[in-house]
Amino acid sequence: MSEPKRLHPISAIISCLKQLKELIIPFLVFVVFGSKNGLFQLFASLGVIVLVFIIGILTWLRFTYRLEEGELRIEYGVFVRKKRYIPFERIQSLDLSEGILQRPFGLVKVKIETAGSSGEAEAVLTAISKSQAILIQQALSSAKASVSFDEEESIKKEQEITLYKISPKELLLLASTSGGVGVVLSAVIAFILQFEEFIPYEKVFSGLEDFISSGVLVVSLLVFLGFLIAWVAALIGTMLKYAGFTVKKNEDDFIITRGLLEKRQLTIPLHRIQAIRISENLIRQPFGLCTVYIESAGGSATETESTREMLLPIAKRNVITTILSPYLPEYNLEISILSAPKRSLKRYLFRGLLYMLPIIVGSVLFIKPWGYLSLLIVIPSTLLSYLKFKDAGWKIDGEQLTLRYRAIIKNTIFMKRNRIQSLVMRESYFQNKNKLASIEATVMSGSGGTRGRVIDLEKKDVEGIYEWYSYSKEK
Amino acid sequence: MILEPQKRISKKGLTVWRISGAIHSFFALLVLGGAVSLTFIFDWPSWIIGIAVLAFALYAYLFIMLIPTLRWKRWRYEVRENEIELQHGVFIIKRTLVPMIRVQHVDTLQGPILRKYQLATITVSTAATVHEIPALEVEEAEELRYFISKLVRVADEDV
Repeated sequence: MSEPKRLHPISAIISCLKQLKELIIPFLVFVVFGSKNGLFQLFASLGVIVLVFIIGILTWLRFTYRLEEGELRIEYGVFVRKKRYIPFERIQSLDLSEGILQRPFGLVKVKIETAGSSGEAEAVLTAISKSQAILIQQALSSAKASVSFDEEESIKKEQEITLYKISPKELLLLASTSGGVGVVLSAVIAFILQFEEFIPYEKVFSGLEDFISSGVLVVSLLVFLGFLIAWVAALIGTMLKYAGFTVKKNEDDFIITRGLLEKRQLTIPLHRIQAIRISENLIRQPFGLCTVYIESAGGSATETESTREMLLPIAKRNVITTILSPYLPEYNLEISILSAPKRSLKRYLFRGLLYMLPIIVGSVLFIKPWGYLSLLIVIPSTLLSYLKFKDAGWKIDGEQLTLRYRAIIKNTIFMKRNRIQSLVMRESYFQNKNKLASIEATVMSGSGGTRGRVIDLEKKDVEGIYEWYSYSKEK
Repeated sequence: MILEPQKRISKKGLTVWRISGAIHSFFALLVLGGAVSLTFIFDWPSWIIGIAVLAFALYAYLFIMLIPTLRWKRWRYEVRENEIELQHGVFIIKRTLVPMIRVQHVDTLQGPILRKYQLATITVSTAATVHEIPALEVEEAEELRYFISKLVRVADEDV
């Protein structure tokens, strides 16, 4: 397959539409603030649109790709001709997605990611047929297989095991307990409280009381309805995004597919996995539900999703190991965590209060009668501090470091020693007095890093982790 | 207790920090001087001047005297065959381990003040983090950079 190929013509239209979308604001400005001469404006606008289409078609004509000598070779550019050759071995992952425009033609958009591509994907094939995409995938995997000359691999290659498929019930659960919904719900509650505050004030106008209070009722009902709609919209949005979430595994990749309107497929090579993270947010934790993420190297940084990829969107904590351990044998996800010592509790509580202090002092000083209500913040903040203390913990098991900590969401991060990029031990004057210390480990994720940090552990333990990580003692 | 790293950074680094502290203080002086002149123009209570003078004195003392001294005393590093260890911090002591096999590249950099004192700063980058050893003698920095990059080449491994 060495002759240069073009993308499907629809990609010309897609790129035109994208261009036009970016032009909308200057366009509006031009129309609103432009001269009074309507005819000129009309012609100018038409001219711009025609130009955009011509450029779109030229771009499409000039864009060719081919597979040659173990490289993906792309040539493009209207005025300046550019050639980009990407060796197969450098390609980290192919990201297939089907947009609304691609779907009716049975086309896919292929994003090619390399390790160095920070910002955006190394190359994007906007619209090619599915068979073409599969051809590229096969060329890629065969190139990689020939590098690691393993006899058995060719037999295993065709095997694809589905290890997880989201059920409708889980999808609903996922959508209704996602963080976004929590934000909306708390906003609704805040709003309702806000209006209750107004009611006594309105009562002063006793003559108008009935009318106004009913008015307030109507308004707050409307607001509530608005939020309900927003909530349902968020719910549906999440459901569409994660519908049909499936995780498959072939020889050495995880393949994640999801989405209803826009289908996305993601390939994560197993050897690129840097760490596993289990997150439990406040709504899900009581039900024993959590989300499993994979931190993987490479991928484009602009898409926040691809640096930390969801592996299991929602699952019971106790079934995770059963689902994953056959495929991630080097990670021990069922591990007993060693907690922070009792004496660090008071440091956790103190820190929580310290953060709340400015808010409380500010509102007591400036919002005269009601400011004292802010003292009530102390209760949830202390509760959160206590939870943070309870969740802080660590464990070393062979080559694996497990750190558990909570910001608001409880995170447990599982890292292999040879994936940790650097380790920091941190100790303040007061920690030193209490024989406590903090630990922070960074792994690579996307084009940057992601950290696990646990505060106020037993100093001896932290030193133990430090020594465990040190490469000097081996000799 | 694990042994702390042994090597200190150049004593001249202390002077450089004091100079940059003095430059900072100069800007603080401008701001506070502005406040004082406003006090004169608008006839604000005179205790504002007292506070401004005190604040400047404290700022200058902290950033020219105390913090550079503490910082310099704390700064230690050690480059071993398999890893780089750093220790620094003024009030919070941070100790960092960077294994050689994780190092992606090493840079030296030099600002105008550092150049005047023939000093240079080394930054060590891994795939996810960047670490800095400030204010080393230029020859030492060059040597170290060469040394680290040689060791890195030996200890090569995938990501």
